[in-house]
Amino acid sequence: MSAIHHFVPLVHRGDAVGRHTLRLRDAARAGGFESQIFVDITQDDTANETTSILDYPGLAHPDDVLVYQFATASYMAAWLTEREATLIVNYHNVTPSNLITPWDAFVGLGQKTAEEELRAMAPRTTLAIADSTYNEQHLIDAGFRATAVVPPSAALSASALTDRARSEQPSTARGARWLSVGRLAPNKAVEDAITALAVTRRHVDPDATLVIIGRPATSAYDRAIRRFVADLGLRDAVTFAGYASDEAVATAYAESDVLVVTSDHEGFCVPVVEAMNIGLPVVAFNQGAIPDVLGQAGVLVDTKDPYRLAAEIAGLLGDAVRCRAVQQAATQQLEELALDTAADRFISLISSLQVAGAGT
Amino acid sequence: MPTSPSPDDSGADQVAAAGQANASDALHAAFARLAPQGTDPWNFMAAFTHLADRYGPDHPGASAMAELLTRPDTAAPRPSRLRGLRSGPTESTGSADIEEAMGHVIEAFRFLNARVRTLEDQLANRDTPVDGAAWLAPAAELGEWTALVSAHIEAAAPTHEILHADCGDGALLTALRACGIPAAGVEPRGMVALGPLEQGHRVTIAEVTEVLPGLPTRTLGGLVLSGVVDRVPVHVLVSLLAQAERTLVSGAPIVIVTTDPEVARSTWSPTTVDLVEARPLHASTWESLLGHAGFVGFGYLHDSSGDTRRIGLHATVAR
Repeated sequence: MSAIHHFVPLVHRGDAVGRHTLRLRDAARAGGFESQIFVDITQDDTANETTSILDYPGLAHPDDVLVYQFATASYMAAWLTEREATLIVNYHNVTPSNLITPWDAFVGLGQKTAEEELRAMAPRTTLAIADSTYNEQHLIDAGFRATAVVPPSAALSASALTDRARSEQPSTARGARWLSVGRLAPNKAVEDAITALAVTRRHVDPDATLVIIGRPATSAYDRAIRRFVADLGLRDAVTFAGYASDEAVATAYAESDVLVVTSDHEGFCVPVVEAMNIGLPVVAFNQGAIPDVLGQAGVLVDTKDPYRLAAEIAGLLGDAVRCRAVQQAATQQLEELALDTAADRFISLISSLQVAGAGT
Repeated sequence: MPTSPSPDDSGADQVAAAGQANASDALHAAFARLAPQGTDPWNFMAAFTHLADRYGPDHPGASAMAELLTRPDTAAPRPSRLRGLRSGPTESTGSADIEEAMGHVIEAFRFLNARVRTLEDQLANRDTPVDGAAWLAPAAELGEWTALVSAHIEAAAPTHEILHADCGDGALLTALRACGIPAAGVEPRGMVALGPLEQGHRVTIAEVTEVLPGLPTRTLGGLVLSGVVDRVPVHVLVSLLAQAERTLVSGAPIVIVTTDPEVARSTWSPTTVDLVEARPLHASTWESLLGHAGFVGFGYLHDSSGDTRRIGLHATVAR
């Protein structure tokens, strides 16, 4: 093996899969491999980091290892499956179409297609690497025989976050500052954070606020969320920050009191590890990969009852001892996840696979 | 904050928990109502973009895969984006013609989509000019009118449920419940609605103009309108009264408590008047509108407390 090439439909610099792919490329090169990122659609902000997939056939070598970043439907899946080189699938999860279709039937159709593409890739894939044990189970259910788990290298770097370390001094804000980070998509169920905020402002903390960072995934959901905020009378309490740069996201973590994760479905949830990195307490619904990723480093809520979520957040923020315990647990959890070395482990896993194959 | 009850909790706490569950359900339902209806989730633009990516002329941001799927082992510049039409003796002429034709078809789809979107936007904005408009108009609680309205409803001896919009703090619902009369509320201000919901009242977080069309014919024993009647445009009020006439059972009362137009003119901010098209109507106008909608027996409720800021009106369904 001389080359480990990465294939992904497109690469955005601020996007989790994009950041992950760039780091894998760098780790492969550091390991002595030739490595390029081939994309279907070239984006302006990463054009100098990627190569059009149209150029790959001219560069192809029989010993290449092709790593496909699987997170959405793409013609790439079928095309890669038909090639003869060693194929690795790096699976980041596909949001179930039933969560998307009521809001955007076309995107939902794409999710359904992605589920089919995943199953179709299984027989042809040498190794499928999931970024959580939750996602690994998806791979097994889809028919993949050889699987492994390596967490994603998608989080903002620890140095970027600690540059904006949270102050130990009490905030001057009048109320608790809640934060939500992630695409504004139906599966993120941001409405549940909003209803809990309404309850909190009515009963506990009339000045509590929520900042929502993330670009809208579907216009229908975006419109509904904004109207919901207006109908609840929370226009002054909820900020829609939209897409934010890495620096702006890091600042938001530093200036918040709690990360609230209300998703119905998460394959990993990068914001959780970013929050743990900066010492921001996390309160999240207990679903998907969240329990594995969060460990004891936050509060899991088993019900979508806004009163319960509001009570859990108020209970955590009002208990300094518990907050410190959560932060300590976060440190341990981060050590276990070892995200700093994840990209190297990913590349080592592929290298060992090739060595084992050569030895048989 | 009240918390979920443990098995040892008192009855009062369990009542509180039931109220929270009631409010929780109403909040979830309020958001569910905002989801696209019918064909609204059909994302025409994305579908057409996909079509253009796959079969249309090359353009910035387009997928490269249509090209590559046809010739997996070459890296030649793309002569065409049409699959299956690039080989054979007629490649250069046939595929070019079809590609050009397909480009026109896709452009036509784009125009069609843009037109559909414009019409959808116009329709969506017709009756809801501003999200959260209910917060902009100072919809007062019934206050001293509560007993008067409750007595009027009780005297009508309703056989079906009463609906109050905007129900505010739920005082009328409580009064009617005390009289043994089943009642439900509609309140568009979510935070305000939490009050009666936590007391166990059935309240829908929405505009009554959105709720009445979904109710079955002749199922309401009475309708009380306050707040909303000061806030929505006249053409919406006409539709609202038509829906009221449809949903009320024969002989059922309708009660309207509205702000005196002269008072509104002198006290409401220009911003409120502009944004919510707020224009409370005079009593004579209400009499006319109610008559046109099929209501008879028009009369006034007389508030003994001397509140001259609001006007109380009542009528009944004619049939």
